Amino acid sequence: MTRLLGHLRRTGLGLLSPSLLLLLLVFLIPVAIMVPLSFRPYLPGQGIGEGWTLANYTKLFTDAYYYEIVGRTIFLGLAVTLLTLVIGYPLAYFLARSRSRWRHWLTILVVFPLLLNLVVRTFGWMTLLANRGVINLALQDLGWIEQPIRLMFNFTGLLIGLTHIFLPFMVLVLIGVIQNIDRDLEDAAKVLGANWGTTFLKVTLPLSLPGIVSGSILVFVLSISALVTPRLLGGPTYKVMSTLIYDQFLQLLDWPAGSAMALMLTLIVLVLVFLSGVIARRFGMQGSVAQG
Amino acid sequence: MATATVTRPSLHIAPRLRRAGLGIWVVLVYAFLLAPVVVVVLASLSTTSYLTVPPEGITLRWFFEVLEDPGYVDAILFSLVLALIATAGSLLLGTAAAYALLRRAVPGGEAISALLMAPLVFPGVVVGVALLQFYSLIGLSATFAGLAFAHMVITIPYVVRAILASLAGTDSNLEDAACVLGANRLVAFAKVTLPLIRPGVVAGGLFSFIVSFDNVPVSIFLLGVRQTTLPVKIFTAIEYGVDPTIAAVSTMLIIVTGLFLIVAERWIGFHRFI
Repeated sequence: MTRLLGHLRRTGLGLLSPSLLLLLLVFLIPVAIMVPLSFRPYLPGQGIGEGWTLANYTKLFTDAYYYEIVGRTIFLGLAVTLLTLVIGYPLAYFLARSRSRWRHWLTILVVFPLLLNLVVRTFGWMTLLANRGVINLALQDLGWIEQPIRLMFNFTGLLIGLTHIFLPFMVLVLIGVIQNIDRDLEDAAKVLGANWGTTFLKVTLPLSLPGIVSGSILVFVLSISALVTPRLLGGPTYKVMSTLIYDQFLQLLDWPAGSAMALMLTLIVLVLVFLSGVIARRFGMQGSVAQG
Repeated sequence: MATATVTRPSLHIAPRLRRAGLGIWVVLVYAFLLAPVVVVVLASLSTTSYLTVPPEGITLRWFFEVLEDPGYVDAILFSLVLALIATAGSLLLGTAAAYALLRRAVPGGEAISALLMAPLVFPGVVVGVALLQFYSLIGLSATFAGLAFAHMVITIPYVVRAILASLAGTDSNLEDAACVLGANRLVAFAKVTLPLIRPGVVAGGLFSFIVSFDNVPVSIFLLGVRQTTLPVKIFTAIEYGVDPTIAAVSTMLIIVTGLFLIVAERWIGFHRFI
């Protein structure tokens, strides 16, 4: 008994066991239980049937309704990733290289939307993007448009909302790598005759590539997993994978199909996070996606 | 030949233009980041019973309506209690876990820390539906305990990460010295290490509290019929139709979050933990 206690203390397993027990019972086992459920047939009106079936998975690729939603989710994730990268890189560069004493507060200002409640931020975008929202009314007042443009309940709305939500993540990851690029390298390139554009393309950009990759994977993974923003800005009809899972569990009550889709989403996320870890180790980076 | 000299950018003007361009871009991005926040605050002040920006007239009426609405008050209290309990739990478990990972020779330590961090990137909606099924199997459906455990799972990575960052900068010999001088392990930790990692504990606790208080994707699947958290209440209220009380309660969250962040930055230099 004392030997066991000694072992638990030396290996730290005694201190770790409460957390591991919690994660096992409230995370790993519940997710694992979805696996058998996802192979069950669903009988409308009766619930979960007996026997096993692959139908919940095959329809993700064969049923037009489903593969459109899967494809849309992935395309949206890619578009959001690209947009946050293009918008965020210059800001990250500015913040990483700034010597201003306001720098910390400017960084905090990027973090502020991140910490602000997601429902509140999305509500702000609804106020801006609705048919009678701020943007449409302003454009009508200016006489630039006569009918309101549809900015919500479609791809545009989700793209704007999700880009806003995940931009801070991209910026924070990029600040981390750009800060670590030795300024002397840029200066050396300039001394050797490179102009600003060449220096950026041949020195700064390649050196920030690990951050670009892990930031992109992080933003992609978070975008395809997001529920609140797609639900509110997409409405009940314009669906992505996560909102379809939500409907299948709470409204259609087709838990087997919902489980299959949830596991599919999880699989995509886990593969990408694993890749991100491999890339981070390869470049000897400290902050992989898994570490935030 | 005058044109040739005119179109050639001067060596002194180009960098200045570039800096100005970058400056403009930065301002535009901040405008984009803050636009929805500003709009919500403005909408909450309008005297009209529908949302208008810029507001027509100025009133604080909608804020009083929120505070007098038992639905909102109950939701705020419920969220606060839940976030406090979840944070207390994940601080306790997360600090112990981070300490073990850094100061002990944990077999499979890398895999264990990956597992502890997993809820950070795991889709919230998947955690939500998995627990919905699991709790209905074991009879924890719609219970406060079930919800609190779920919130500990999603907040523990933030605590572990912040404590690890803080603990990495401390010297383990200090604690050993305290033990040599007669303190037991627990006292040595409490009197020596804990004060040193206080910023990490505070940052982890703040993150944990915010993450729990804000959560929708997990909570929404686990709440009972009469229970609701504040963000879930706002979320469902928006689906029924928007009105200025939603803007008012949102503005309250904006102000509280802003104050929170300013205090945290002054207190522990919050930007180091992001």
